[in-house]
Amino acid sequence: MTDARAPVLSLEGIDKAFGFNVVLRGVGFDLFAGEVLALVGENGAGKSTLMNIVSGSVRRDSGRMVLSGAAFDPRGPTDAMAKGVAIAHQETTIVPDLTVAENVFFGREPRNRLGLIRQGLMHRRCGTLMADLGFDIAPRRAGGRLSAAERHMVEIARAVLHEPSVLVLDEPTASLSARAADALVDLMGRLKARGTAIIFISHRFGEVLEAADRAVVLKDGAVTLDARRDSFDRDRLVRAMVGRTLTNVFAERPGVPSGASPVLSLDRASTRSLPPISLTVRRGEILGIAGLEGQGQTPLAEALSGLRPFMSGKVELEGRPASIRSVADAVAAGIAFIPDDRKTAGLALDLPIYMNMSLFAIGERSRFGFLPIAAEHAFAQSVRARFSIRSTDLGQPARQLSGGNQQKVVFARWLARLPKLLVLFEPTKGVDVRSKTEIYGLLGDLTAQGVAVILISSDLLELIGLSDRILTLYEGEVTAQIARPDFSEEAIMRHAAGMRADAREVARA
Amino acid sequence: MLEGSLRANLLLSLPALALVLVLAGIAASVSPAFVTENNLANLTVRVLPLALVALGQALVLFAGRIDLSVGSIMSLATAVMALTSDAIGSLAIPLALSAGLLCGLFTASGVIVLRINPLVMGLATAAIVKGATLLILPSPGGAVDYAFYAAFLGGGNVLGPPLLIVLGAYALMFVFMGWTRFGRSIYAFGSDPRSALANGAVPAQIDLAVYGASGVFAALAGVFLSIRILSGDPLIGEPYTLDAVSAAILGGVALKGGRGNLIGVLFAAIALVLVNNAFNLLQLDTSYQAIAKGLIFITALVLFMRGRSVGD
Repeated sequence: MTDARAPVLSLEGIDKAFGFNVVLRGVGFDLFAGEVLALVGENGAGKSTLMNIVSGSVRRDSGRMVLSGAAFDPRGPTDAMAKGVAIAHQETTIVPDLTVAENVFFGREPRNRLGLIRQGLMHRRCGTLMADLGFDIAPRRAGGRLSAAERHMVEIARAVLHEPSVLVLDEPTASLSARAADALVDLMGRLKARGTAIIFISHRFGEVLEAADRAVVLKDGAVTLDARRDSFDRDRLVRAMVGRTLTNVFAERPGVPSGASPVLSLDRASTRSLPPISLTVRRGEILGIAGLEGQGQTPLAEALSGLRPFMSGKVELEGRPASIRSVADAVAAGIAFIPDDRKTAGLALDLPIYMNMSLFAIGERSRFGFLPIAAEHAFAQSVRARFSIRSTDLGQPARQLSGGNQQKVVFARWLARLPKLLVLFEPTKGVDVRSKTEIYGLLGDLTAQGVAVILISSDLLELIGLSDRILTLYEGEVTAQIARPDFSEEAIMRHAAGMRADAREVARA
Repeated sequence: MLEGSLRANLLLSLPALALVLVLAGIAASVSPAFVTENNLANLTVRVLPLALVALGQALVLFAGRIDLSVGSIMSLATAVMALTSDAIGSLAIPLALSAGLLCGLFTASGVIVLRINPLVMGLATAAIVKGATLLILPSPGGAVDYAFYAAFLGGGNVLGPPLLIVLGAYALMFVFMGWTRFGRSIYAFGSDPRSALANGAVPAQIDLAVYGASGVFAALAGVFLSIRILSGDPLIGEPYTLDAVSAAILGGVALKGGRGNLIGVLFAAIALVLVNNAFNLLQLDTSYQAIAKGLIFITALVLFMRGRSVGD
């Protein structure tokens, strides 16, 4: 496509501030028909705000938007959609008590001459649409009974329903399995062929490199890179996002000494939903657990954290048989667990940041059952400095922090007393690159102090960059143990897809 | 035609239907006079006010709100009828309905403009309306001409104005809620305000519509009450607030919004009137009736809080 053609959408000098917080500064770029544009940037860089402006739910402070040659000033999401700009939100907006079809057609239901909704026709049309998109979701299912991935698909179906000229996908793949994400990339290709211009926000570089014709990088609310496919690569994107190269993301760590003592060993330990598993992690070691979605990672994490304890097999902590029957047992035994869902399991979102930081750590410092408030604040200040948590006021509710900063607060709790074993479950899901780097650096510090880490992650680069060893899970069983010199994305994927290493190799695990 | 959420919502009215059938069966077997035309016509007249006020309340509940001012609005409507119908004749009816509409819009404005919690705003409106009613009619009195009674309630036939009014109002609102885009957006807003908002629902419109409608239906209920007692009563509406919410919940409407349908509410209103009648036949003291109503309310809540969809 040539830039000589008029753009479908062009943005010029868009500014936006919420109170004193400047979110966007003079953002501008053009979008052409049949183009897939990846909008990349750290959390808090302004991507979502920009897309909310484009899709009509937020008003810009200044600047110009032109859609198909006419000034574009949507009065709201419905107006934007009527003019041809549709968005699939990252946090899905599916009404639980309406069916899939009623959600997809909401506000645009087909009606008869009396203005009454044609329910039957609508559900049939929805079925056709879903089949067309390659989504296997029945139109009559209730919105409240969909999985996270299915909700995303319905959200996308609603956005493409009236064939918008501009389609915005805000982190469409964050909750999708690898296969569903592939299907989505495929779908973007088909929509693009029909002439739809697509803006998609993603933290997954693989996807961006595969699907995007162009990438626009936002940093602190301003465009730092606007490049065509042939002139950007992973490294350039990351540099534009954070101003440093990818290799710096993972700090160098010395290897684990061969004589390091085991912290945790499982010998054919199993739960109701996890077949017997054996593994060992030693002091100062990061053991990576790789696998496709739903291959036993969740039951393993829940068993280790005491949520759903092991039922049989041997569990040894520092060489002694251990019984972890509850979360309290795990905490007492020095096992720290950082769950994948900060919002529900990790943070009290409505409590101030400083209280969230100290929730567990402060227990040891209480006097006569009372919390020393001054110490709590001092602790919070030191944590903020150490983690560079970007918040001016620690009294704010934790809800107001970005995803990356929330995760740092969760980590902070375990700083005051070092755990023996740290179990991480998707620690950087939805976390921006800068926060990721800081979290990775912290893991290096912790292991240097002898903390053993079990890192369960679906991010291969993260596993490769951090782990000393990687186990691959497939249907709950360990299919391979890979040592650091043999790390490669291909090797991990092969075993994660079910290929077993020879028995001898696994036995050494 | 009854596809999707409409079907799911219709199923929620089955318990109320079953309850009506059981109660009617008991009544018919105990007293053969129950199934006479005269008694059924009389029953319709008794169902009329509760059915109308519960209809309005259900509309508010669909949107995830609640209107605790309906009882006071009913009383106000009886007072307006009793004080003005002599002078202006049947124009008193639209006057009373307008008063109800204004009360509803007042509640909605508090919710929209002042962002007051809807439940509390309803209580405030209730207090204001009650005070105003007592100002214009300090004690039961005034007069509503018998001509109104003869025209609306006096036929003695089952197929008379009361039945037609109830069925007409319910049919109209049933179609409105089930088959119009605005009705759908009310359900959606009650089910999940954030999602409904993101997809173009306008909360201010919804609040004005449901509270306005609730005010009008409460006033209409009051109008028929005043015609029945041929006078006004500044406190007669009080017990209807809880009864209206009870009927809605018993009819399968979710207190959290987004669920239920009006057919169930109508069945539940009939059931509650049958229960009331039974109490009267048993010559149960009104204090015990109040206690029993409270217990019925709790039972209805417990029964219908189960089976909510995942994620709420």
